[in-house]
Amino acid sequence: MSHKYSIIWLQGLTCNGNSHSFLNYTHMPSFAASFDMLYHPLWCGAEDFMSLLNSDVTFDFLILEGALSHDERLIQRFNLPFYEILDTLAARAKYIICAGSCASFGGVFRLRDPEKITGALFSGKEKGGYWLEKNNIINISGCPVHPRWLVETLVALHHGEKVLLDEFLRPKEVFSYLAHHGCLRNEYFEWKVDSKQLGEREGCLFYEHGCLGPMSHANCNKILWNDISSKTRAGSPCLGCTEFDFPRRALYETQKNMSLPQTPFGISKRAYYSLAGVAKSFKIERLEKKLIDEND
Amino acid sequence: MKMTKEIIERIEGEATLELEWENEQVSFAKIKFFNYRGIEEILKKRPLLDALALTPRVCGICSHSHAIASVLAIEECYKSAGEALHITQKAKDIREIALNAEKIHNHIKWYFFTILPELKRVGDTTYAGNAFKDKQWFQAQSAVMQSLKMGAHFTGQWPHGSFVMAGGVTCDPLKSDLISAQGCLDAVIAFCEEHFYGMPLEEFLSFDSALQVMSSPSALSYGIDEMIKHGFDRLGRSFDRFLALGESYRYEGSLKASKTTVLGADIKYVHESLQHTFFEDKHKGYTYSKSAMYKRNYCEVGPLARLMVSKDALMRDFHRRFKDAALTRVVARAVECAHLLWRTKVLIDHINLKEPSLIPPKKDIHSLSGSGIGVIEAPRGSLIHSVVVHQGLIESYDIITPTVWNLGNGDKQNPSTAQKALIGLNSFTKADFILKSFDVCSVCTTQ
Repeated sequence: MSHKYSIIWLQGLTCNGNSHSFLNYTHMPSFAASFDMLYHPLWCGAEDFMSLLNSDVTFDFLILEGALSHDERLIQRFNLPFYEILDTLAARAKYIICAGSCASFGGVFRLRDPEKITGALFSGKEKGGYWLEKNNIINISGCPVHPRWLVETLVALHHGEKVLLDEFLRPKEVFSYLAHHGCLRNEYFEWKVDSKQLGEREGCLFYEHGCLGPMSHANCNKILWNDISSKTRAGSPCLGCTEFDFPRRALYETQKNMSLPQTPFGISKRAYYSLAGVAKSFKIERLEKKLIDEND
Repeated sequence: MKMTKEIIERIEGEATLELEWENEQVSFAKIKFFNYRGIEEILKKRPLLDALALTPRVCGICSHSHAIASVLAIEECYKSAGEALHITQKAKDIREIALNAEKIHNHIKWYFFTILPELKRVGDTTYAGNAFKDKQWFQAQSAVMQSLKMGAHFTGQWPHGSFVMAGGVTCDPLKSDLISAQGCLDAVIAFCEEHFYGMPLEEFLSFDSALQVMSSPSALSYGIDEMIKHGFDRLGRSFDRFLALGESYRYEGSLKASKTTVLGADIKYVHESLQHTFFEDKHKGYTYSKSAMYKRNYCEVGPLARLMVSKDALMRDFHRRFKDAALTRVVARAVECAHLLWRTKVLIDHINLKEPSLIPPKKDIHSLSGSGIGVIEAPRGSLIHSVVVHQGLIESYDIITPTVWNLGNGDKQNPSTAQKALIGLNSFTKADFILKSFDVCSVCTTQ
């Protein structure tokens, strides 16, 4: 068996959601067999943070959770300016893994001061976050990160595999999918049948309710959350939480241009609107009815 | 005068505890929270419903609680604008199941990942911790996961699920979903019976004496023995004053208690103070945590408060013996968890799936102006969301979290609940544990 890889988990401006999401990992004993969590801020482990910081120990993964800032008035840990801690640890880590949208792009908390609060390499979609350049960073966005996205990336690196990344440095195996893929409302999307109101199993949430599934990169509806569900399966629109612009404004409304919604990712306006027009011109009776009709 | 400053680690977030010492005893304590994030500011001028997506991001461990408090505040806005929304019993039940899943998981996580290892650390400062190592840690992690999976049948995901909307909930579960959720809940109950309580849930819930709990071998009775060994059956007492503003199936309305006397409470007497914060004075302030008071008094909120106002027989017996010591506070979370497991089983069994999940408001949200307050009992206590909306846009949003109630800062003449519990202690190790007995959530505090 190959040796264990070591992890130090560091938090910037965060809600702890990525830590708690990570703790939902189904096969934790298997994770623990391959990795040593040298330090995690929430749980009782063996190492003392200050001794780790003051040592010259190198380690495999620095996992960053939360938005970052060079401004010590905005963030400090252990009575030290945060940048001192981050710079010291980053120099000793083989890989830096940004767990969640805050560490990747700045996320929700960036909105307070986008000049000073950013992700590690990005501020929103712009390159140039906490660092201008760094070649050992992987972004695993999401608000929160899915435990499988995080652990499976770590395991692949542990196996010495090359992890293919997209333009935002996100693992392609996760982020080449769209949240739309595997959505149970797909047929309603194909035939342009809108969900009349929330709280029902029928209809697509893309047209009126702000769903960003067709333009959000993530395999949520392939691997599901908590091994069972997803936002769209619980009848709520995808909020686009894996994207650099999360959170957009008016998350429960579909942004329209001349009463037309935005087109799905990578589909031209001409292709989408032509097809949508045709699909909409048919009235598919089955899709207008309840999925389960007790009176049938 | 001697003064020490120590970091409080292994809580939700981080805090600094500054202690003043006289004659080897703590004479005063300052509890400092940094790393403010500004969600209340971020929400200003955004469309009202964005609060449903953004307020869960206040806290990774109680995101459902924030979502529910937020939707209640929004529904009150409709009411203040003349449209009282009807929320079906089904939607209310689903909200309660989601909240219970969050509370159950929180209490298990806190007891097995914080309290047990911290107690070991009090006895042996070189203790290397249990995380990712001990068999029981993995079993507790699995129970935590099952509890959240149970909830995710209704909420889509945890943390940061979206499942509430003005007028009800967005999910519309099937009978098969309920059966699957019940299966998850049964796995959590099995864990708690075997490890937490050491006996069937029903038997534990029938107890009315602390001795019954203490005489059965379990993680809970082990923890109680350890706490007694270190003196936490006497230490950590505060004002013996409790408050539960949110509703519960175990009591009617909002209540407060002074020792065992229970009286009605009203949210209009809640007062938020900026004293000692950077918001009040950039230079003299020392924390980002606001403080909350009821009729100018600091009160304890959380599981112990809820059980005291509901006159729970077992908790009253613990209280009779140990008053509001750290031990009583810890046991309250275990006892509440048992009640919630039982209650959630009943809810899932009885939910009426024929009712609509959501009845949408008639009024166009873009023209909605008004104000509303949403109050719920979150894992750590009363959580208040207060919003003012003008033409569909948020004018102001104010959040009072449970940790603000318990761990705000008063002054020497009028210390806060946690400060009072710390005064008189003779070691930092004990102070550290007592602070943790409140289940500190620094991220909620610095929202």
